[in-house]
Amino acid sequence: MTQEQQKNALAPTNEDTCGPYFPICFRDEGLEDLTRIDPGVVAGASGKHVILQGKVLDRHGNLANGIVIEFWQANSRGIYHTPANLGHPDIDPWFDGYGRQRSATGEYSFRTIMPGVARGRAPNITVTIFSDGINRIVTQVFFPNQAANDADPLLLSLDREDRARLTARPDGRTGDGAEVYVLDIVMAGDNETPFFDDLAS
Amino acid sequence: MTMLGRQIAIGPTDNTSDQRTPRKRLHLIPHKARESFVPVIPARTAIRQNEWDLTRISPERPRAEGSPIEVSGTLRNENGTPLRNALVEIWNANHHGRYRHIEDHSGLKLDENFFGMGRVLVDGDGNYRFWTISPGAYLARPDIGRWRPKHIHLSVSGGSARIITQMYFPGEPNNEKDPMAILMGDAFERNIGKPYETPDQDVDQGFRFDIIVGGRNAVFFE
Repeated sequence: MTQEQQKNALAPTNEDTCGPYFPICFRDEGLEDLTRIDPGVVAGASGKHVILQGKVLDRHGNLANGIVIEFWQANSRGIYHTPANLGHPDIDPWFDGYGRQRSATGEYSFRTIMPGVARGRAPNITVTIFSDGINRIVTQVFFPNQAANDADPLLLSLDREDRARLTARPDGRTGDGAEVYVLDIVMAGDNETPFFDDLAS
Repeated sequence: MTMLGRQIAIGPTDNTSDQRTPRKRLHLIPHKARESFVPVIPARTAIRQNEWDLTRISPERPRAEGSPIEVSGTLRNENGTPLRNALVEIWNANHHGRYRHIEDHSGLKLDENFFGMGRVLVDGDGNYRFWTISPGAYLARPDIGRWRPKHIHLSVSGGSARIITQMYFPGEPNNEKDPMAILMGDAFERNIGKPYETPDQDVDQGFRFDIIVGGRNAVFFE
């Protein structure tokens, strides 16, 4: 923003807590499994199927029940489904890259495809959490043994411990043909997950 | 290189806030990684007929208990440009302060004519409108007598916006002790609906609630 624009900018509405009662009936199955576009439709995203799952924990190590968790990622060729990319030769028309779940228990399991290498970045999935007691918190999840991890600007901005806190581990299982990766997210306290400031800076 | 963002405050008298608020400062997103944090949300929705009118379960059914109100407003970014075609998901407690949600164990009275959850799409000029019942306040912390003031939850998603917020009501006695209102400080004023008369509408009163999506919630600009 220029200084002039800054001066005339409208004051933003405050975000507020989601509270404990986000309507479960607003769930959309098409947003819970990104490997397919909608239940029962013969069309699916290109790429290697993976399941990212884990627990979201509070300061006492208890599951954070009643959360809304959202995901955003590039397709298997590293292209994000943004308006600017709609004509890109590597866009995948069957992959929006945005998912949403509401978890009653605080455990999540998200079926998607392994994100590709986006310009200058290691494969990653942006994870946003809304819940009672907090406004949105945001982080990114990475995958082990990816060559691009060593040069990723976000990982490089963190110390070794925090990098480990954002790296999902393959647990050796597969679920219906998808490799399972596990990452627990600690909202507060010991072993707290690093969260990122989403202010345009 | 210090990569630290804001320290998030904990809502006073709010147990969940104490349990779930990160204690470390947020990390600032390196410039090169900024773009990747900016989701574009597909406009997916299957809205039932008459979902904009939460005052009745369906058009032929009786009105729910309490005072029917209209809530309307315009969705814009900080430059004043309307944000079009977004989805607004709405949920609020009934006249007695009870949600029709399986995890609301308050024991307050349910109203057989009130569902309390609805969805509307923002039109091509950024406008939205819905009817609902003016929600009841409810005792959120019986142990210390702290009430949750009357409020309506709104979740806005689509293309260029992702914000979850709440609209509060003017002059409510519990507003000033609400932990989220305390964290907002003077900016709380922006989250209070502005009353207007509704002489030609089958509701008691209207509340204007314009939503300006900015800062960390302005996820993508077209």
